[in-house]
Amino acid sequence: MLKTITYASFGAALMATTAFANPYADYEGTTLIVNFPAHPHYDAVMQILPEFTAQTGIEVEVDQLPYLAMRERQTLELGQDEGEYDLIAYVVFSKADYVYADQLENLAKYFMNPRLANPSYDADDLIDGYVYNIGFAGGERGYLEGKTGSLFGIPYGSETSVLGYRKDIFEKHGLEVPETYEEMLELACQIPELEPGMGGLASRAASGHHAAHAFLLHLNPMGGAIFDENWEPVMNSAEGVAAAEALKQIVDCGPEGAVNFGFGEALGAFLNGDTAMYLDTTVVAGQINDPERSQVVDKVGWALHPMGSERASQTGGFGIGIPANAENKEAAFLLMQWLTSKEGDKLVALAGGNPSRFSTHADVDVNAAFPHMATFGEALQYADPDWRPIIPTWGRVNADLGTTLSEVLTQDLDIQEALDGVAERARATMDEAGYYTWQ
Amino acid sequence: MSDITAATGMNQPRPTVRKARRLANRLSPYAFVGPAIIVLFIALIIPLGYMIYGSMLDWTASQSIGEADFIGLKNYTDLWNDPRFMKSVSVTLRFAFIVVVVELLIGVGLALLLDRDIKGMTFLRTMFILPMMIAPVVVGLMWRFMYHPTDGTFNRLLEKMDLPTVDWLGQHALMSVIIADIWQWTPFIFILALAALQSLPRSALEAARIDGATAWQQIIYIKLPLMMPVLIVTALLRLIDAFKVLEVILVLTNGGPGQETQILSHRINETMTEVRHLGEAAAMANYLLILLMALTLGMLAFNNWQEKRAARIRAAAEEDV
Repeated sequence: MLKTITYASFGAALMATTAFANPYADYEGTTLIVNFPAHPHYDAVMQILPEFTAQTGIEVEVDQLPYLAMRERQTLELGQDEGEYDLIAYVVFSKADYVYADQLENLAKYFMNPRLANPSYDADDLIDGYVYNIGFAGGERGYLEGKTGSLFGIPYGSETSVLGYRKDIFEKHGLEVPETYEEMLELACQIPELEPGMGGLASRAASGHHAAHAFLLHLNPMGGAIFDENWEPVMNSAEGVAAAEALKQIVDCGPEGAVNFGFGEALGAFLNGDTAMYLDTTVVAGQINDPERSQVVDKVGWALHPMGSERASQTGGFGIGIPANAENKEAAFLLMQWLTSKEGDKLVALAGGNPSRFSTHADVDVNAAFPHMATFGEALQYADPDWRPIIPTWGRVNADLGTTLSEVLTQDLDIQEALDGVAERARATMDEAGYYTWQ
Repeated sequence: MSDITAATGMNQPRPTVRKARRLANRLSPYAFVGPAIIVLFIALIIPLGYMIYGSMLDWTASQSIGEADFIGLKNYTDLWNDPRFMKSVSVTLRFAFIVVVVELLIGVGLALLLDRDIKGMTFLRTMFILPMMIAPVVVGLMWRFMYHPTDGTFNRLLEKMDLPTVDWLGQHALMSVIIADIWQWTPFIFILALAALQSLPRSALEAARIDGATAWQQIIYIKLPLMMPVLIVTALLRLIDAFKVLEVILVLTNGGPGQETQILSHRINETMTEVRHLGEAAAMANYLLILLMALTLGMLAFNNWQEKRAARIRAAAEEDV
């Protein structure tokens, strides 16, 4: 009898301890409404959310939208006194707009709260370039790492750029995987001669955001930038012209109709086997080996983004943050922390998502399931957080740059002249926004 | 009789009641129009006023309207001096005029051809108006596939016929967008023109036939002039619509290459969603509105002038008789 009472009281004590030790207990039964994009990474997130609910008792309702529509919806929601969303995934260039308008929670108070912050979170394991690019604001240049900066979001579904190439085609013709821009550009035009009907490299080039994105992919490796340290536009420098020439050469030697390719078409061309190379985001890796979407299953090898005068790859994708007008901020933080924890990051990587931690890229299970992860991990060392300026005026400069580059590609405008025009208009935009006030 | 008069006098309402009735009579039209005016005020005047006020603000998407700075007409003057905006205006005008003219020609032509008793006419009419029923996004996607450089219907056909392929959405983007719009909206003109044709007074046509008018003469001198008021309104409706096309262009070319197909509504959308400057977008929308109002007034004035001219001719003819 005594034994039974002892066991019973031990059990009760254990349960009480367990209950007390459960950091999620206060939030059990809460329903979080979150806004995620329709994107391969977030499709993988949808698969792991039931596990979060099982572990924490917090329900998650997801409003998944195409990413441009998501941005519009967020603009409306974040401007309300009380918003509908507890947690949002935002596209990287929204950081400047949302933080500037005071619409995202500063995460310091959550990481300072011992009841909420998980001591084993290991923030140092998060990939530096992504954290500063997507989550950080107020540091150097207003959007980079620095002593005056602070954290407003955590990278989740972030991307860098890598080169995908057709192993079979390269082997067939005895081609070397390009390590430099010179080699890549030469191959881009050599392949259509070796394989009639096949384009060299699939790139985005459609007017607007896509053309600007493709240009930026080449600008940093060429040693160029959009602005110098005094915010003077320098996209029309010799390096900028070289980047635009590279883009033009790639499009000219690309598959037919490449000049109108957006992200989907460029990827589609590579998946259909219409090109031998693909230089863009790592997010596509999951689709390359999906037999339902791809005709190049097991035929694709991955290499680092080729080097120009320096090695620099893209930083982009999404981060997650808590809206300042959210209803359940603490529960939202718990979800954010769980998703970006080592456990959550590994789960999402195994489900086909993009990991945001160094440890996940090195994880044995993840590498066994996705052998390309090792190359992607190496590429991260070169992910440049200053790949594009994340400032409120970027939308206007980006739209102008993208339209002008499309004109360069389709109407044979003089590249130097076209970029000079962009630089002149960008300077006027920056001047009006007050970037030269202190000069 | 005097009894009756007295009785009537007794039954006549007092002056105040009469006054009230007269007032009620006078006010009743306003009472009937009232609800419409209230709806108009809420659904049109307030948003329009909001848009006009918004266009005078330095207003970004992250700000509420109250937080934005008032900058007067700066958005308007900036746009006036912006060659890219002017290029959009020029693309819009070119697009709208070409599609409306071609659609009118084909639509009225088809209506004239099909204004007769043919077997299976109902089926034919349904087939003709089918494109109009398809959602614009679907139309955009359909044509995008058909224009595809390698797998598209058109280039495959050209290849089979050993003809050189066409870079539809590259070198000929505006023409390709125009073709898609003509395909979708000619049926609208066709169906209205057919209705107008079928409601023409048969006596006039019969008289013309008896007088020996040829089919062409009947069309030029009888049918088209009589259809003109309907055609003017139809053209106006299409013109207004053509200025606002967005989805098809968004899907087909996204305004590109360069600015080749960036009509004003696309630029407004881009300014709102990418540049995120709501004040400038509102100013653009107001420019579009002014442009459309000027065109509408012009066309209505033309219609008015034509009707008056016709009335003068009729009066002169009657005097001659």
